[in-house]
Amino acid sequence: MAEDKSKKDQPVLEVKDLAVAYKIRGGEVEAVQNVSFDLHRGESIGIVGESGCGKSTVAWAILNFLGDNGYVKKGSVLFQGEELVGKEGEELRKIRGNSIAMVYQDPMQALNPSLTLGTQMKEVLTVHRGMSDEEAAERCIKMLERVYMPDPANVLLRYPHQISGGQQQRVVIAMALLTNPALLVMDEPTTALDVTVEAAVLDLIAELRREFDTAIMYISHNLGVVARVCNFVNVMYAGEMVERAPVEDIFARPQHPYTQGLIRCVPKLGADKASAQLYPIRGRVPPPNDRPSGCVYGPRCDYVQDRCIQERPQVRILPNGNAVRCHFAEEIDPAEWVPSEDIQLKAPVGDVSKNESIMTVKALKKYYDVPGNSIRAVFGLEAPKQVKAVEDATFSVPRGSTLGIVGESGCGKSTLIKTLIGLEETTDGEAEFIGHDITTALSDRSNELIQELQMVFQNPDSTMNPSYTVVQQIGRPMKRFNTVPNDQIRGEVIKLLESMRLGENYLDRLPRQLSGGEKQRVGIARALASRPDLVLCDEPVSALDVSVQAAILNLLIDIQREFGTTMVFIAHDLSVVRFFSDNIAVMYLGQIMEIGPAEAIYSPAYHPYTEALLSAVPIPDPTVEQKRIRLEGTVPSALNPPSGCRFHTRCPRRALMPDGGKACETEIPPWREFENGHRIFCHLPKETLESFEPVITLASDKEAVAAD
Amino acid sequence: MARFLMRSVISTLVTMLIVSALVFTLLEVSGRDVTVQILGVFATPEQKESLRKQLGLDQPGFVRYIDWLVGNDWRLRDELGNVQTVFNEISQEPEWYVLLDDGRFVRHEVCSRVEDIDSGFCQPGEMLYLVRNEDASFFRENAGDVWTTDPETGESVFWGVDIGNRAAKWVEGGGDTAFVSTQTGVQELTGAAVQWIPLRKGLLRGDAGVSLKTTRPVSKTLPIRIRNSAILAGLAFIVVMPLALFLGILTGINEGSFFDRFTSVTSLALTATPEFVTGVLLILVVGIYWSNNWLPGLVEAGFLPDWALESFKVPTTTLADSPNAIFEKPKELILPVLTLTAVELGYIVRMTRASMVEVMAAPYIRTAIIKGMPFRRVVFRHAVRNALLAPITIIMLHINYLVGGLVVVEVIFGFQGLGKFIFDHSIFGDPNAVEAAAMVTVLIAIVTRLLGDLAYTFLNPRIRYA
Amino acid sequence: MTTTVQPESAASRQPSRLAKIWNNVSIIFDSPVAMVGLAIVLFWFGMAILSLFWTPHDPNEQYFRDQRRSAYIMTYLPWIDLEDYDEVTRPKPEFLLGTDKTGRDLLSRVMAGGQVVLLKTRIPLPTDDVRRQDEISALSRLLDRFVPEEWDEVVVPGGVAIWGVIGSLVVGTTFGLLAGYKGGWTEQIVMQIMDALVAFPRIVLYIVVIASLGQGDLVIIIAITVTGAPGIARLSRSLALDIKTRDYIRAAETRGEGLLYIMFREILPNARGPLLVDAMLRVGYAIFTIGTLGFLGLGLQPPEPDWGSMVNDGRELIFSQPNIVIWPAIAISTLVIGLNLFADGVREELSRYQK
Repeated sequence: MAEDKSKKDQPVLEVKDLAVAYKIRGGEVEAVQNVSFDLHRGESIGIVGESGCGKSTVAWAILNFLGDNGYVKKGSVLFQGEELVGKEGEELRKIRGNSIAMVYQDPMQALNPSLTLGTQMKEVLTVHRGMSDEEAAERCIKMLERVYMPDPANVLLRYPHQISGGQQQRVVIAMALLTNPALLVMDEPTTALDVTVEAAVLDLIAELRREFDTAIMYISHNLGVVARVCNFVNVMYAGEMVERAPVEDIFARPQHPYTQGLIRCVPKLGADKASAQLYPIRGRVPPPNDRPSGCVYGPRCDYVQDRCIQERPQVRILPNGNAVRCHFAEEIDPAEWVPSEDIQLKAPVGDVSKNESIMTVKALKKYYDVPGNSIRAVFGLEAPKQVKAVEDATFSVPRGSTLGIVGESGCGKSTLIKTLIGLEETTDGEAEFIGHDITTALSDRSNELIQELQMVFQNPDSTMNPSYTVVQQIGRPMKRFNTVPNDQIRGEVIKLLESMRLGENYLDRLPRQLSGGEKQRVGIARALASRPDLVLCDEPVSALDVSVQAAILNLLIDIQREFGTTMVFIAHDLSVVRFFSDNIAVMYLGQIMEIGPAEAIYSPAYHPYTEALLSAVPIPDPTVEQKRIRLEGTVPSALNPPSGCRFHTRCPRRALMPDGGKACETEIPPWREFENGHRIFCHLPKETLESFEPVITLASDKEAVAAD
Repeated sequence: MARFLMRSVISTLVTMLIVSALVFTLLEVSGRDVTVQILGVFATPEQKESLRKQLGLDQPGFVRYIDWLVGNDWRLRDELGNVQTVFNEISQEPEWYVLLDDGRFVRHEVCSRVEDIDSGFCQPGEMLYLVRNEDASFFRENAGDVWTTDPETGESVFWGVDIGNRAAKWVEGGGDTAFVSTQTGVQELTGAAVQWIPLRKGLLRGDAGVSLKTTRPVSKTLPIRIRNSAILAGLAFIVVMPLALFLGILTGINEGSFFDRFTSVTSLALTATPEFVTGVLLILVVGIYWSNNWLPGLVEAGFLPDWALESFKVPTTTLADSPNAIFEKPKELILPVLTLTAVELGYIVRMTRASMVEVMAAPYIRTAIIKGMPFRRVVFRHAVRNALLAPITIIMLHINYLVGGLVVVEVIFGFQGLGKFIFDHSIFGDPNAVEAAAMVTVLIAIVTRLLGDLAYTFLNPRIRYA
Repeated sequence: MTTTVQPESAASRQPSRLAKIWNNVSIIFDSPVAMVGLAIVLFWFGMAILSLFWTPHDPNEQYFRDQRRSAYIMTYLPWIDLEDYDEVTRPKPEFLLGTDKTGRDLLSRVMAGGQVVLLKTRIPLPTDDVRRQDEISALSRLLDRFVPEEWDEVVVPGGVAIWGVIGSLVVGTTFGLLAGYKGGWTEQIVMQIMDALVAFPRIVLYIVVIASLGQGDLVIIIAITVTGAPGIARLSRSLALDIKTRDYIRAAETRGEGLLYIMFREILPNARGPLLVDAMLRVGYAIFTIGTLGFLGLGLQPPEPDWGSMVNDGRELIFSQPNIVIWPAIAISTLVIGLNLFADGVREELSRYQK
């Protein structure tokens, strides 16, 4: 008992001055330097930072899994008082999986595709605890029940690909908890998941931390997620830990300029481009072999002084107990920060919402045929099955405005814009764009039409053809549509690059010489090269780090204000869509559920689905209160969507309907009209929808309510 | 699964059709004259022309292709009457007869034998029936007046079946001069038929035709050759597979070690060395051992092919040419099997190694290690099954290439297998034999590919349960 | 002065392009494997080029065939008994590796053996020589109209193996990219034809093609093209299937680009690396195959030396004079190994480079 007591006080994990290096050809790079922190039972520490900051390397170093070319160069990792650095073979093996467990970013990749989930779970117990197969199976079922896995006994017999991504992550978490480990390392466990699934997994993690008394090290790039599950936050930048503080302090009083910058990059849920602005951090994270000798953040810092360049700051403990790696932490007041000139945006040009519509879509449908697999289907005796990817989409886009489309993966938002641009053929319905019918395939469209309707893509790594230089790629549309004489293309591309805030020296670069954000800028420039009236943006910022994301969003706002371009903007991040769009459509399973002006979507009246989405968004502010609405089950297959209202199988508000929502199952819901073109596709009467309480309450609002 | 099987069957048929047409066209456009192969280079143009007619080569190519594919007896019924095959128990080969209304099976011949004319049995130019007895022998009978008038030429003609299983068109009182090659040399025949069409049922009805080289039905000679090759390839496969997979897995998990480098370089060298080089070098090594008597008893005659023995001035056995030689001298198999093993081993080791290296870097292997699983379990439980997926399909595809290797190996070692069959008959320009062999190789290729797909499906739950 | 000076900007761009190409090429220097392979390949290339200008002896001269005609023998080796093959073929100072049965110098022949596979292709033209009629193709007849009367063959730079692989690259990528990008029925039909060609064991196809079209460089090139195309088509199809999912292809489509532009300008440049590596391996296979065909007596046109035929010619004397077999065998194996090593090294570097 006494021993138990002493163990309680001793940190589970104590990392001291850790440095990790990777050997590369002709030398080595230090991926991580000077990282120290400790972690006690029942605590969870978040490690945040942009990609390339060495977050994951810290986790791998703790598990001593650095590959053939990585090693711990300096420092120590004490786990329950035992030194882990240098541990090898059997000793290390007995700790891994037994007292330290890990949860990974992509559960599909982390599970062995050719073994059943049962085999993979049970072996943890049979190997570490010497349990018999039956005992282990029993234990696994109990643990799966603990993570709210439906039908756990059956799940054990299945293969990873047979369950959904959210369920896979539950299995991985259950597997990690089987041996009741003292430390749980989670590496971006929800990044690959949809927002409603993410919310449920985060709830689970928070609950497990309380019940199992496990110490959790939680790695994430998403401040909102960290705010929800962690009580301490470690901010990492370029391989170094720059700030460590309790979660409330990090968001309320960030001390390090980098932390402050990160917070300013992220749009607050509810903020929009008219009332607020994002402030990207200039420059980019230096690669490990090219870090400045002084403060690593120096080149990007707004408060940089001579001392920062000459002397590398050490971690200092401030009077309030927080640690920060900055010479001038006490002198910096984030409230008095003034953005530098070059990130000021152009002034908005008038009110766009009253303008005439540039694109009108009526009852647009897109179905895919899916070949059947039975003998009858092979001979064409069965009607082919259809995926109803988009059903009855009706909306219009006013000139110069932005329509945002949100929804989880598989909701049909990408299919919708692919159909609009002609990459997919329309099954049925009408769509009209500046006098052209756009239900036709691309090959049937005239060059003028193609030129006026362009697209910006999601993945910066695949948006540019790796074989051509920047000027070739941006010049191609000009050449193809003859908008610019051949000898002036170079000059025109330079102008365009300048509006993308890229210099002339980018002209002859190849994509591999550009960063993700730069590639995305070139992609935007290419879309704008033919001077389109409307640009479709397919998640243009979702693959980017937050500071780059802020810069690209600013750029898009600038472009819209400069050229008056109309945009349709798809994203799964509700804060981004809210910030960037004038109007918003919420999609679920191919159906638009709610559409209207942005501010109307984010406050009552809500569609029940929108309400659930909003309550799931991770908000980078621990003081915000969110109503907790979680969706049951998984998204049904679009092959066989639910009858009536497509959302009825998961709707948390169905109980409000008379007689348990029979109508939801059988009848297609009506459109409930509100002011300003706000429409909701729901059986619930207008009054009920309006009576919903706001999902998100800011701390300031709360005080106001309390004062009342 | 239903879709998959349907597609496979259709695709197989289409492939075989394409290949057979391709082979036929190639042999057709060839400048090669098969009559020269049969008659020798000193044959006169008349003799060659006559042989062409006897072989039915004067028919247009596409007609012969259709005949080969679906037969021509149905097409010739109008002229010949009820023509049928009867199996000859003695020669074990089917023969073509016309079934007369009275139930007798007959063939036809023009009266030309000296003894028949002398005995007054028939007049020269009269048509005779060769009536079949139960024991497959036959007796002659005067057919009487069977001639009909050709509406176009006004000639008096008769279509019958001759003793060479051909439909033949005779003209009463006339006919061409034909040159028939017999054991004693080329004989000149007068009053012969003016047109011949070899009768056949067609491949689709199970008749692969008669080889021009051996003059025997292909269906008699080919299966033995296939069996011989199957034994050869099968033995090589049994040696190669476990060894190659084992080495591949071992090198894959020890990537970068000396053992890995050594095995990889050796595998590369083995794969890059053509079969004929490997085979000849093996013969050289064995021959040196033998001639120096270094390993008495181990190395002896029987290992080496005839051409190599000749240079030792050792009497060669005639056995080697017999299709059953491998059962009488199983040692003949050793060097061919070794040669095939050497060539295939390297390839499969490389494939398996690459696949193993890739799997060992996969995230789920990382999961298993971080779960604290013992290394042995990580390798055998988690890695091997996934790592074998790729090689198994590739190995199955590679069996196709093995057939190519077989040709070379069998030619080097004088082994009477499918490969040598293809080689000899292609050089001869023997369409029926080459077509049949090509169909067999295509079938082997497709079936092995299918087996590879099925094995992949079975090993990969992602597909099995999709 | 009428000559104009290049504008400064254009001139300054020129070297950067060269430098870029050099950058791409120089990655092979990082790989020891590729360098070893390259050294072996360059050695045989060097030998073949050297043999165009100089060999110790004329590779085709049969020094021991006929005592009366061979002045060389009369002058330098008058004691040789031409009836004794062992004596004739054995290495001696005049013939460092010895000679073959008919007295052709082995060293010269091994050196020159690379010419036909690597450096030159011979297309014979119609002549009165009956023996060569088999080798005359329609292309030869066409060429005959345009070349001087007295020529009896046209020699094209680039060896048989290289032209064969170029041929299969052209055919294979065209069909493969088409099938991969278009999908649907186009893919079904193209791949069905390619599968049929693959299902046909390649050596059998070679034998049938050569048995029917006759021997000759051109026939071998056609045979290599036909047998290589399906593999390249399969590879380029799978590359196209991958590349066509990239956003830049969507961008090209939404720009209304045509099929050919997308296939050859958008997809092909990004499939170049793997295709070139594959082509290098295929040059190896082609040399391998030409050797095998030579061994089977179906190879290139005599009399110029061809390693495979040399092995075949020498195998009867293998125990008395193994040199005749061993040297050409080593030549083929090392050249193929060299190409394999080079391709392996380049592939490894490419994948590292792309990461």
